[in-house]
Amino acid sequence: MAGEKIDIEAIKAMLNLTDEDLVKPLPIPTKWSQPFWDASKQHKLVLKKCSKCGFIDHPPYLYCTNCQEDEHEWVEASGRATLAAYAINTFGVPFPFWVDLPYVVAMIDLPEGPRMISNIVECDQEKLENGMELEVVFDDVNDDITLPKWRPVDESKRG
Amino acid sequence: MGAGDFAVIGTGEVPTGNYPDRSEFEIAYEVSRMAIRDAGIDKNEIGAVLTAGHIMSNPDNDYNTEMFFGRLPEAIGANGCKVVATTISGGASSFSIRKTAEGILESGETDTVLVVHAQRFSQFSANEQAKYFSIAGSDVEWEVPYGMTYNSLAAIVTQGYMAYMGATIEQVAAVCVACRKWAMLQPNAMYNNKEITVEKVVNARVVSWPLTTLMCNVLGDGGSAYIMTTAEKARKVCDKPVYVLGEASEYSHRTITRSRQKDPGKMGEDLAVTARLAYDRSNLGPEDMDIFEIYGSYPVISLIVMDALDIPDERTSGELVLAGETSPGGKYPVSTNGEALSFGHTGTGVGFSTFVESVRQLQGRAGAAQVEGAKFLVENCGGGAFMDCHFTLMGSEVPQ
Repeated sequence: MAGEKIDIEAIKAMLNLTDEDLVKPLPIPTKWSQPFWDASKQHKLVLKKCSKCGFIDHPPYLYCTNCQEDEHEWVEASGRATLAAYAINTFGVPFPFWVDLPYVVAMIDLPEGPRMISNIVECDQEKLENGMELEVVFDDVNDDITLPKWRPVDESKRG
Repeated sequence: MGAGDFAVIGTGEVPTGNYPDRSEFEIAYEVSRMAIRDAGIDKNEIGAVLTAGHIMSNPDNDYNTEMFFGRLPEAIGANGCKVVATTISGGASSFSIRKTAEGILESGETDTVLVVHAQRFSQFSANEQAKYFSIAGSDVEWEVPYGMTYNSLAAIVTQGYMAYMGATIEQVAAVCVACRKWAMLQPNAMYNNKEITVEKVVNARVVSWPLTTLMCNVLGDGGSAYIMTTAEKARKVCDKPVYVLGEASEYSHRTITRSRQKDPGKMGEDLAVTARLAYDRSNLGPEDMDIFEIYGSYPVISLIVMDALDIPDERTSGELVLAGETSPGGKYPVSTNGEALSFGHTGTGVGFSTFVESVRQLQGRAGAAQVEGAKFLVENCGGGAFMDCHFTLMGSEVPQ
């Protein structure tokens, strides 16, 4: 599964790509998700919890998807999760991500209830296992956006 | 509305593949005429023209705008047309547009509806296609920034399904082999001249582990059409009408993380409730099915839908496929046109080709792919990031 060496400059020339084609897409926060990204910038993982019914929405929406009420609070998550299922991208991804190949995209379960898609980083890709314990790490992509990502809790499974 | 109130009386289809010089307009006009001639009706009998919205439209000559502004009835000379509409729900478009057709027929405004799909991906560059499909199946705010793609989505579901169900990668690969075998019998299929083996599929280049290139569908240009009428009219004008006997639907989510069923091993169990509803509404059961026309798009989805359809055999879906039981000559034919994996992925059209193939099979006109004596089948489709699932029971007769 080891990635082949990728010469991004050669691909760029061959496919006539511009620098813009190689810019990674970043989240564009909405009115109702902005607090998540603000907290992430502070290296805090927060979740939108309905003040009426207690339901936690992720992704968050304009109002609670369980009872449609507006009142809510942003609660800090434990920062722990378990691996539900995963894939290892090795080829055929959008060009900005070619430099990262091979990388793990995973579906992870938070003990607070929600499920997320994220990257498993700092891991030995051969040692990933469904159900394994994960902890959050923060990737400061630029001044505005920090992406929460995950790594194995068990240090022997880190890469 | 009851079982067997509506019927299909004619179909048209062009080959799927790379045809950059064949515009989507040309496809739409061509398949419309084919369906009208196949049905043996006069074009002016058509009272409603429905087109499936297609994806990745060209803004300089937008097919979608042209279609919902009524280009098609004018271009094909449907002078009796009263209603035009465009319906789209991704891969589930073939289902939602048929529900639209049934609603129009039920209203009594007309008794004859033309339904059309056309797509030309080859007008877009590889980069444009890659960009579109990296956001089509994934959430732009919560998933795309992590390098998620359609293939990764299917890979995650595959990894989860294998882990929770004990299915093997060979079983997953066998779905692709079976699809190819069927496509080899289909003149309009994109990949119909080269057999593949389980070994070849497993050892192909890994795209998104555990998926290899041969486990991922390939985009192609194509289109098809059909004429739908009331059962009453169908019996008068057509020797071999194909009846819609019963349907059932389920919507789950937009983002895969919010799917109603959290356990990747239980998706089939969940969908089984919907499948059972479709069977019951048709007064038929899995043991009555001659064919299972599944729209998988990725092999794991085919296995999950097989699980849901309750095929009357003690073996698991993966075992059945690996044993060749879903291939030509097998006990339980599945996806007899090779579907997205080998017939080709025509965007919102995969479900159309599955449906049109279902009609051909039940009319006994499926050529080399004909399943001998096919009388009843179940057809399925779904769209988005596996957002929904629809089952339709169809038959060459209406069971009492």
